[in-house]
This record gives sequence, C-alpha cells and structure tokens, in this order.
Amino acid sequence: MRTFDRIAVLVALLAAWHAASLYFGAQWITTPWVTAQAFWRALMRGDLWHHGSYTLSAAVLGFLIGGIPGAGLPFVLRRMHTLRAVLDPYLVAGYGAPKVALTPLFIIWFGIGLASKVALVASVVFFLVFFVTSAGLASVDQKLIAAARVFGADARLIAREIVWPSAAPYVFTGLRIAAPYAIGTAVVGELISSNRGLGYSIQAAATDFDPAGIFVGVVALALVVTGLNAALGLLEARLLSWRPDDKTVERAQAAF
Amino acid sequence: MDMKAHAPFLEVEGLAKRFAAKAGRGESLSVIEDLSLSVSEGEFVTVVGPSGSGKSTLLNMLAQIDRPSAGSVRLRGETILGPQSGPLVPGWNCQIGYVTQEDNLLPWRRLEENILFPLRAQGRLDEAARERVAALVELAGLKGFERFYPSELSGGMRKRASLVRTLSYDPPVILMDEPFGALDAQTRMQLHADLLRMWNVKRKTIVFVTHDIAEAIALGDRVLVLSRAPAKVIAEHRVDIPRPRDIDHLVLAPGFAALFDRIRQALI
Repeated sequence: MRTFDRIAVLVALLAAWHAASLYFGAQWITTPWVTAQAFWRALMRGDLWHHGSYTLSAAVLGFLIGGIPGAGLPFVLRRMHTLRAVLDPYLVAGYGAPKVALTPLFIIWFGIGLASKVALVASVVFFLVFFVTSAGLASVDQKLIAAARVFGADARLIAREIVWPSAAPYVFTGLRIAAPYAIGTAVVGELISSNRGLGYSIQAAATDFDPAGIFVGVVALALVVTGLNAALGLLEARLLSWRPDDKTVERAQAAF
Repeated sequence: MDMKAHAPFLEVEGLAKRFAAKAGRGESLSVIEDLSLSVSEGEFVTVVGPSGSGKSTLLNMLAQIDRPSAGSVRLRGETILGPQSGPLVPGWNCQIGYVTQEDNLLPWRRLEENILFPLRAQGRLDEAARERVAALVELAGLKGFERFYPSELSGGMRKRASLVRTLSYDPPVILMDEPFGALDAQTRMQLHADLLRMWNVKRKTIVFVTHDIAEAIALGDRVLVLSRAPAKVIAEHRVDIPRPRDIDHLVLAPGFAALFDRIRQALI
C-alpha cells in the first residue's frame, strides 16, 4: 500500500513537472523525459560518476572530519561544566555564522581542490552534530543515573549503559540531519570555485545555457542524498533495535 | 508501644532539609525539620504523610542522593550521613536499596539484563547469583518475560521487575517511595501480596513511604505519621494484625478500621 502511494506521488510530481515545462517552455524547464535521457547519456559517458564521486568524496570526508568530533566532543565536555560554559558563546557563534561566507577563506587556505570543500563541509557538519548531540546528553534521565548509583554502578558503567544509549538516538538524528547538508555544502563550494563535481557540472551547464544539464545534476544530487539517508536509517535501525515500534507496543498491550 | 524491643538498626536523628531563599521567594523553604525515627532489623516500617510533606526528600536523603541540612543517619550504630560528612555515597556501598516511584528500568535493556544490572555493576554476577535471581523472578511472576523490553510489559510487571532488581543484590535496608502509586487498585493489591510474600522469604528492613493509609496498615509492622511541611513524625502506631496477612480481607481484620480512623484523624 505504501509503495503504491509513493509511486502515485512520484507520478503526480512528474506530471506537475511536465505541466510546468509545457507552460513555461522546455527551454526554461526541461521535461522529465528529456532530463531522463540526458541523465542516461551522462551516466553512460561516465560524467555522472566523474563529478558525483568528487562531490561524494568531499561530502563524506567532511562529514567524517566534522561529524566525529561533533559527536564526540559533547561526551568529553559532559562533566566539564565550567569549560562548557566558557566555550558556549563561541560554539553558538560558530553554529550561527553562515559557513558559506567562509568559502573564499577556505579557497585561499586550501586551494580550489577537494580540501577546501572538505573543510567547508566539516565546518557545517561539526556544529550541527555537536548541538544535536549536546541536546541528547542534556536529556539523559537523571533518575536512571541516580538509581544506578544507588545500586553501585560506577561512572564508567553509567556512561556506557545509561548516558550513551540515551544520547545515541540524538547522535543519529544529528548525523541524519547533517548528511544532506554535507552534500549541499560540498555543492555550494563547487559552485563557487571548482573544476570538478556535481556543483561544477551544474555551473558549467548554466554557463552553456543547458537547463537539461542542470536538471541532471539536481536529480543526481537528490538521488545521492536519498541513498545516504536510507543507509544511515538502516544503520540506526540496527543499532537502536530496542526502541519500540508501534507494532510491538500494540502486540504487548494485546497480550496483557 | 514498645519501640525499643530490638537495638535500632537504622536511626535518623534531627534530620532537616531546607532550601535556600531565591529571588522572588522571600524566605527559605523548610521541607523537613527535626525528624527522628528508628527502625529495628527486619522491621517493615511504613511512613504516611500528606502529599508534599517531604516523604520523597526523606528517602532521597536516606539513600544519599540528597544531602540533609542538619541531622544524622546511623546504620548499625555507624554514622553514615551527617551535614558535614564527606561526599555522598548513594546506596551506602549497596547496603541501602531504593525502589522509587518510577520503575527506572533501562528501556534499551531486556527485563533479564535490567534485573541483573546491579549484580553486574557490583561484580557479583556468578552462577549462584543467577540462580537466586531466577528464583526471585519466578516468585514475582515474571518467568517467561525475561527476554522482553520494558516497553513491552505492563506497569505492574515493570514494578515487579524494579522490585526484583533491588531484591536481587540483597541490600539489608530497602527504601520504597510509593512504588505502587501509579497502578490500578487491583494490581496494587496483587503487588502488596507479592511484596509481603517476598519479604516473608527474607525479612529485610524496609522503610516504605506512601500517602495511602490502607496501604501503610496492610504492609507495615509500624506506621509513622508525618505532619505537613516542615515534616516531622507526629504519631506512630503499631499494627497488630498478625502475619501472614490476607490482603484481600484486610479491611475485615479486627482493629483495621479503628487504626485507619486514628491515622486519618492524625493526618487532618
């Protein structure tokens, strides 16, 4: 049923896209069919892989370089209340500052190659994951910790058995929120200055007045983001299998 | 009322808890003032008081989750807590168990792992311990549910599990803070019977806090009555209903109604 509904929505979206293309003119909005053909050609020529792999490398590297400390640092700072309080305004400022504005700086430092995009992505991902993870740590149920201390659990066991499992869903949420941002930020970096990547290919297509090329790039990005999200979702479902889904709760209530 | 039949096991003397004044709240707030009580070994003491009378605060201090503003707590004659003593030792080296209002089971652990958690934390999880716990699990009617997550169990079963978790590591003193408060009347009665059955097997020293007078009489050897805040003990009543008690027909037991009424009057 759900699959059917999803296909129905896809058909509706494609129909709307096609209608828009007819209304505004195919020179502005390429029809879905022409886009699909261009997509297929780009795929066969190896262009999509050439550019896509570059964007994906920038996104994944930046995601790891920003995401790992973003998820880890809140755990380190958890019990250092003073340090955390001192750093807080700077972290908030870092989170709020538009990182895209740093792009020229990263290009001066790291050149127009992969490194500047990785740095840009890392700077975005770090703050996102950091704040969501911090919120997760703040939400740990203090009563669980008090109960565990009463029956003799030490700080290490509490960290492993209570703090980490409570915060883990937040860490995953942070990573899932950050994943599309990682791709998007890599593309923005490429749009500004690059000689490879999906952002570059979109920019190049725009310069050539080739809307089909732009649509191909956008569709490719949407597919990459969807794939990445699905992969993180699978990982999360595996690691957080204890969380009740609606079915088990229903079953349990029926049983008692 | 012969309170000193045995040497006191757990003694509380002059306990007080005050919260400092804050902006917008003129004077400091005194929740407990000059509260003293003593419990002998193996005794089941229930404490009733109006809601907001600092019952949970009292147990939190006995469990050493919270520090008193004044007074001291002694266990077997040894001072384990005073206002000036060192850092708090929650549970006093696993000597004092605490069953709270919420079951505080770890949602990401199965029932069995939850119940064995204290023993694992204390490094005492061996075959003999597992067997003892398995017997307790059966006594509590939880057999067959070991592999379930807490979210898959009813409120009553989670309560039993939290009770068994504390009984499993055998602390000499167990504090209970309205553990059956959130349950329906039927389940509550069942759990009263279960608790008394388990207590009969191994007579722990229990301090059980509640606002329910009938519950206090049904379970306790002795009922302490607390005043409104600042709380202190204003009355104590020995419960002469013989054990083992028949929870289902307790209201018919001689003396129940009179005792209920006396405590009710003291609480008003």
